[in-house]
Amino acid sequence: MNKLNLLQINDLTKKYYNKTALSNVSLNFEPGKIYGLLGPNGSGKTTLMKVVAGLHKQTSGSVLINDEELSYKTKAYVSYMPTENFMYDSFRVIDIAKFYNSMYEDFRLDYALNLINEIKIDLNHKISNLSSGQIGKLKAVIALSRDTDIYMLDEPLNGVDVLSRDTIMDIITKSYNENKVIIISTHLVSEIEKILDTVIFLKDGMVEIFGNAEELRQSRQLSVEGLYKEVFRNA
Amino acid sequence: MLKLIKLEFIRKSKLIAMTLITAVAINMFLITRGVTGSSMFLVLFPPALFILYLVDIIKMYSEDLNKKTGYMLFMTPNSGYKIISSKLLTAVLEGFAIILIYFIFILINGIYIIISTGAEIDYSQVIRVVDRFMSGNLGFSLGHVFVILLTALAFLIAFITTVYTAMTIRKSIFSEIKFGGLLSFIIFLLINWALSYVSDKFFDLISPYYDSIGTRAAGGISTGELAMGLLPLIAVLIIQAIALTGFSGYLLEKKINL
Amino acid sequence: MMLIRMKEGDKLEFNNNIPIYLQVMEKVKQDIVSGKLKPGEKMQSSREYSNELGINFNTVARVYKELENEKIVFTKRGLGTFITESAEQIDSLRYDMAKKQIVTFIEGMKQIGYTKEEMIRFIETENNYIEGNE
Repeated sequence: MNKLNLLQINDLTKKYYNKTALSNVSLNFEPGKIYGLLGPNGSGKTTLMKVVAGLHKQTSGSVLINDEELSYKTKAYVSYMPTENFMYDSFRVIDIAKFYNSMYEDFRLDYALNLINEIKIDLNHKISNLSSGQIGKLKAVIALSRDTDIYMLDEPLNGVDVLSRDTIMDIITKSYNENKVIIISTHLVSEIEKILDTVIFLKDGMVEIFGNAEELRQSRQLSVEGLYKEVFRNA
Repeated sequence: MLKLIKLEFIRKSKLIAMTLITAVAINMFLITRGVTGSSMFLVLFPPALFILYLVDIIKMYSEDLNKKTGYMLFMTPNSGYKIISSKLLTAVLEGFAIILIYFIFILINGIYIIISTGAEIDYSQVIRVVDRFMSGNLGFSLGHVFVILLTALAFLIAFITTVYTAMTIRKSIFSEIKFGGLLSFIIFLLINWALSYVSDKFFDLISPYYDSIGTRAAGGISTGELAMGLLPLIAVLIIQAIALTGFSGYLLEKKINL
Repeated sequence: MMLIRMKEGDKLEFNNNIPIYLQVMEKVKQDIVSGKLKPGEKMQSSREYSNELGINFNTVARVYKELENEKIVFTKRGLGTFITESAEQIDSLRYDMAKKQIVTFIEGMKQIGYTKEEMIRFIETENNYIEGNE
C-alpha cells in the first residue's frame, strides 16, 4: 500500500449558510511527521479536522485516508481529539477507557490505564468531577492510546494549566512513530513549535503557508510564532 | 450492534434504577390505601411510563445529535444505519421491558386485590387466577391488555421514528439553513401526514378483512381475534418504522454535520 | 552564534528564532568539549534524546546526521551512535568553538572601543577575579 500519503486532502471546500469555512484546501500528510495546523479562531482548523474525522460532510473535494474515500470505515484510521469536553459526564474515567476499548479495536487499554495513573487521575472519578486541566490531559491520553495511523489533536493545550501543558506535550512527543501522522491544531504557537516538523498556516479557510519549521526558521530568521504574528497580524 | 445497544442502556442505567425504585415505592404507598390504591397504581402506571419512555427515547438521540457528547458515538467506526438501528432496537427492548414490568406489577397488585376479597389463591396458577378475575370483573383479560399494549408500543415506535427522522434532517440537510428547526418540524408534520394518507389507503384496501372480524366481535372478542384485528395496523407501523430508520441511517452516513 | 548557556539541572530552553537542530548540535559539541560526553561514548537514541529535550524526533535525527557529516559522531549499524574517539577531532572541535568565542569577543570589544592591549589586560584581571572566587 502506498503509505507515502497517509492523508490526502484534495480541493476541499466546506460551506455553511453564512460562511465558507474551507476553500479549495489541498494538503498531503506523510507518515513519520508531526504537523502543526496553525491559525486564529475561525480559520478553519477545526472544520478541517471534523471533516477528516467524519463528523462533518464536505461541500466539495475529496479526502483520502490510506487511499480510501471517507466513510464510517475510515474512522478506524483516525483518532480525533476534539477541543471541547465531549466525554459523557456521568461516566467515570475507567468507563471512558472501557468504552474506547470496546468501540475501537486498536485501543491499547493497559497503555491508557498506565498513562492515566502517571498523570495522577483517579480512575473512579466521574468526568463531571475533573478539573479542566485533568480533562485536557485525559483527552490527550485517550486519543493517543489508540494505535492507529492518524492522530488529530484540536487545541490540546487550551484551557490547560502550564504544568499540564508540559505533560501533554510530553505525551505527544512520546507518541511519535515513523508510520503515523500527528496533526496538532493550535494558536498557542510558541509552546508547540519545537515539536513540529511541518507547519501549515490556515487563513480564512485557505492554506497560507506550508513548510518545514526548521527551514522557515533558517530562511525567514524568525520563530514560527514570529512568522505567525506577521501572517495573522490583521486577522 | 450489541455493543451499541449495551451502551445505550448503560447510559440510562441510573434513570432506569430510579424509575423502578420510585415505582415500587409509590406502589407500596398506594397499597396502604387498599384495593382502590392498588388499582389506581395499575391505571396510572401506563400513561406515566409512556410519557417517561417517550421523553427518554427522544433524549437518547437528541443528546447525541445536539450535544458535544455526541462525538463519543459518532467518532466510532459504525455506519449511520447501525447507529440509528441500535437506538431503535433499544427503544423496542425498553418498551418490551416496561410492558413486562407492568405485567409483574399487575400480578402483584392483582394478587393483593384478590386476597383482599377473601378468596384463596393457588400460587402455582397465579396468572390464570388473575386472568379469570379480570375477565370476570372487568370484561377483558391479560391477553387483551398485552395485545393493546403491544399495539400502543408499535404506535409509539412509529411515532418516535418520525421524530428521529425530523431530527436527523435538521442535523443534516438543514444543518446550515436558518430556521432549520422550524423547517424540520414542518417536515415532521408532512411525514406524518404522508404516512397517514398512505396507511389510510391501505386500510381502505383491506376493509373487507375488518368487516369479517367486526361481525364476530359483536359477541365479545377473544385475545386471538383482537390480535388478528390489530395485526395489519401493527404491520404498517413496523414497516413505517423500518423505512424511516433506513432513511435516517442514510442521512447520518452521507449528510451529517455535527 | 551564541553558545547555549545552561544552569545545571534546568531543562534546555530553545531559541525558536534559530533552527533548533543547530542549537542541539552546539549543545552536543559543548558536552563533548566539556567532557560531559566522553570519546567513544554511546549516545542516546534519537527517540530518547528527542523525548528528553522535548523536541521533534526528526530534528534530533538530523542533528545526528549533521554531526556525523562533521565527523564528530559516527554510527555503527544496529548498535547506535557514538562520539568520536579521535582526540584530534575533539581538539579540533574545541579549537573551533574557542575561536568562535574569541572572534565574537574581539568584535564586540572593538565595538566598545577597546584596543588589543586593553582587551588582554581585561582578560587577565577578570580571569584572576573569577578564579579567586572559585
